Amino acid sequence: MTTSSAPTTSRGDRTPPTGLALWWKNNRKLIVPPILGIGGFLLFWQLSASLGLTKLAGPLSLFTEERTRELLFYPFFDRGGLDKGLFLHSMSSLSRVALGYTLAAIVGIAAGIAVGLNKGLDRAFDPLFQFLRMVAPLAWVPIALVLFQNNQPAAIFVIFIISIWPILINTAEGVRQIPQDYRNVALVLQMSSGRFFTKVLIPSALLYIFTGLRISIGLAWLAIIAAEIVMPGTPGIGFFIWDAYQNSYVSDIVLGVVWIGAIGLILDRLMAWLQQRISPGQ
Amino acid sequence: MTPATLVDVQELEKNFPLSGGGNYLALKGIDLEIRKGEFISLIGHSGCGKSTLLNMIAGLDLPTGGTVLVDGETVKRPGPDKMVVFQNYSLLPWLTVEQNIALAIDEVYPGLAARERTALIQEHIDMVGLGHAGHKLPRELSGGMRQRVAIARALAIKPKLLLLDEPFGALDALTRGNLQEKLMQICNEHQLTAVMVTHDVDEAVLLSDRIVCLTNGPGSKIGNILEVDIPRPRQRMTVVHHPSYYSLRSEIIYFLNRQKRVKQWQAKPHKVQAAHGLEKVNLDLGFIPLAACAPLAIAEAKGFFAKHGLDQVHLVRETSWRGVTDGFLDGTLDAALMPSGMPVWMTAGGHGGTPTPIVTALTISRNGNEVTLAKRLAEQGVNSVDDYRAWLQSHNREPHTLGIVHPASMHNLLLRYWLAASGIDPDRDVHLQTLPPAQMLADLKDGSIDGYCIGEPWNLRASREGHGVPIVGDLEIWNGHPGKVLGVREAWALAYPNTHVALTKALLEACQFCADPAHWDEMAELLADRRYLGMKKELISFGARKGSKGEFAPHGEPHHLFFGRGVNRPSRTEHLWILTQLARWAEIPFPRNYVEILERICNISVFSTAARELGLDDVSYQRGAIELFDGRPFDGNDPISYLNHVSVHRDFSVAEIPLGVPRPLAA
Repeated sequence: MTTSSAPTTSRGDRTPPTGLALWWKNNRKLIVPPILGIGGFLLFWQLSASLGLTKLAGPLSLFTEERTRELLFYPFFDRGGLDKGLFLHSMSSLSRVALGYTLAAIVGIAAGIAVGLNKGLDRAFDPLFQFLRMVAPLAWVPIALVLFQNNQPAAIFVIFIISIWPILINTAEGVRQIPQDYRNVALVLQMSSGRFFTKVLIPSALLYIFTGLRISIGLAWLAIIAAEIVMPGTPGIGFFIWDAYQNSYVSDIVLGVVWIGAIGLILDRLMAWLQQRISPGQ
Repeated sequence: MTPATLVDVQELEKNFPLSGGGNYLALKGIDLEIRKGEFISLIGHSGCGKSTLLNMIAGLDLPTGGTVLVDGETVKRPGPDKMVVFQNYSLLPWLTVEQNIALAIDEVYPGLAARERTALIQEHIDMVGLGHAGHKLPRELSGGMRQRVAIARALAIKPKLLLLDEPFGALDALTRGNLQEKLMQICNEHQLTAVMVTHDVDEAVLLSDRIVCLTNGPGSKIGNILEVDIPRPRQRMTVVHHPSYYSLRSEIIYFLNRQKRVKQWQAKPHKVQAAHGLEKVNLDLGFIPLAACAPLAIAEAKGFFAKHGLDQVHLVRETSWRGVTDGFLDGTLDAALMPSGMPVWMTAGGHGGTPTPIVTALTISRNGNEVTLAKRLAEQGVNSVDDYRAWLQSHNREPHTLGIVHPASMHNLLLRYWLAASGIDPDRDVHLQTLPPAQMLADLKDGSIDGYCIGEPWNLRASREGHGVPIVGDLEIWNGHPGKVLGVREAWALAYPNTHVALTKALLEACQFCADPAHWDEMAELLADRRYLGMKKELISFGARKGSKGEFAPHGEPHHLFFGRGVNRPSRTEHLWILTQLARWAEIPFPRNYVEILERICNISVFSTAARELGLDDVSYQRGAIELFDGRPFDGNDPISYLNHVSVHRDFSVAEIPLGVPRPLAA
């Protein structure tokens, strides 16, 4: 066996990849599998729709159905009433989410801190929180309607009540998890409670709070669809889907679902980015 | 409380409630005064409550009893005047180095102008040598750098008292060393008062003015406070050469080992087990590794203990005679092989505590000791005591130290007697220092002592290894002096009289076995084992030495006497001689009630019973006077007049030693 001659002969054949080739070499393992996965899924869906295995329109119907193609390419039109582009529907939904979610964040963080700091409060309310958080979004709708007698505030309430629990529970945990060392530092320095709050408590619990916020934004988005579907007559992406279903525009439903998924993903990424920005060093 | 006292801990007690109900008493009866500018270390095993004590001084934890005063005020809450440096740094990870320090400064000096504030921050960052890292986040720093930030943060607010909780525990050795020097330098420059919790012995010695050793919990208390007399400024590399360094170090290590042993002892069941008509058959028997421990090893190996009904005898190897003393004081030892001077010494309170009556019913060995001088002295022509005296006179500039194993051992008394009779004052012309045997050999090797007086195998080892030359043997000083005896507490002897007889019988039979030269080889082999001496068999000898390089024992007599007429029976005259010698050198006052003391120490009836039951002749009591090499007789009739007439002696006192009524050990 001779091994001495091997390196000299093989070295000349391979030129090291540069530029795009290098990028492709390094990243292909990250790019190829998702393309194959998603592509395969779409292909399967399209085939099963084309072969008539299911009544659900295939992905290509987004382009083949004229109505749907119009909705897809012109999301900004507004013909008054409920006849709007998808972007405008989405904005209506999002504004509702923003309101409910902001309320949930304010109340949830405040209550979470209170519960996290006070063992008595924690013991008093924890069972209630654990119980309420298990109630499904749709179950809240009738309660909200009875409470508010009006679609708009009821929808916001549903979002609020769904998204508050992860925020509250995570914040409380974050406060409970403040290391004894940080508390000792505050104790030894005799920090006022206000300074302790801003200098130690909030920064220390921030990571937990953001985890709660990130889980909640997803839930809030899920809740709005549910709320709008059962509360028709208000513009919003949920209503759009329900309306399409009533009119048997199956490809419109598919388009609506794609929008929902895309917006949900964007919201989640946005929170992740915020989390990165705001709490470095941990 | 004196004006210079900063911290005054009084009768401190801490009880923790346990989750399963009940309490855990962590600390009890802690009294400690800390002066301004002092550096104190708290040392002890894990869980001994040293951090709890620190937290109570800091005010982070409140005592359940007693008080902590800082500057005359009771500590009720933590505060920046008692700043703590925590083991895990406790920096806020979302703040930069500067911001972390600023956080403390802003709390303590809220109205500080921006410029002064910046200057103060920078000054302290520079102080700990982190000038370049001010803008970094803690996670970008190494452990050592983070701890430096924590120290800077603590110092920036100028606390009255700096409390450090194992500050360098999590650091590597090199970083730790650098930080120790830095801290020491800062403490010196700013005259800081500091209390540090540590479990690093060297760190404690290096940094502290005083070292407070805590005993094990539950109910930890201060076991010992050591003053570190090494002058400042100290350097890590040079303190080790200070004469106090190793003695302090070994003192702490001894303390910690002792605590560990007590803990191990407590972990085992110690119910008194009676069997075979004996009150107690489970015995812990202390010894230190010397050739004279042969009867104990033989009694164990040959089954003499079991033969006499003691089927659960456990031999406990101590590293120094002090371990034996402490074992008796804290009750972890039932009986021990001890130097013949120890019974009178402890009975008269020579160990510094309450007089503890010790009884001996058996002398286990006689002779076996020698004086060894360093090879370098022999090379300069020192071959006799007269040469040594002349050599001392010509080298009187340097300190001269001779090693002994214990103040109450015959080595000390014989060495002193021999030196004094030869015109060398054992306290003024030389200095006698108590050292563990293994340490002596090392010291002889590196030249820090001139020589030592000790039992085998340490003389033979020194001459074989070429570090020392034997100069005089005990056969020439006092042939037949008592060497090691069997000692028990008087209270123990009264509680377990039959066990005492059985133990005496077992050991007397072992002594008889050991006295036969035919068995010496076997004994040496046994003692070479790690459980006993743990050294080469060739270095353990019992007989007369001849032929080898360091030829000695010129009379050709057996070097160790284990058995024979008049060998094993305890002798009051001998113990009286020891008593007068201990008083002569002011180790103890001469007891006015010496007759009572000797009566209680020498338990001849136990010996006689043991000898009779073994069918051995009840060897007659040596009535004759004791005569040492200088020809001065000691008959024991008038010890005080004897003391007044010896040429060299210290200012001794005569006092009544109150012993109380003999009382058996409470079951």
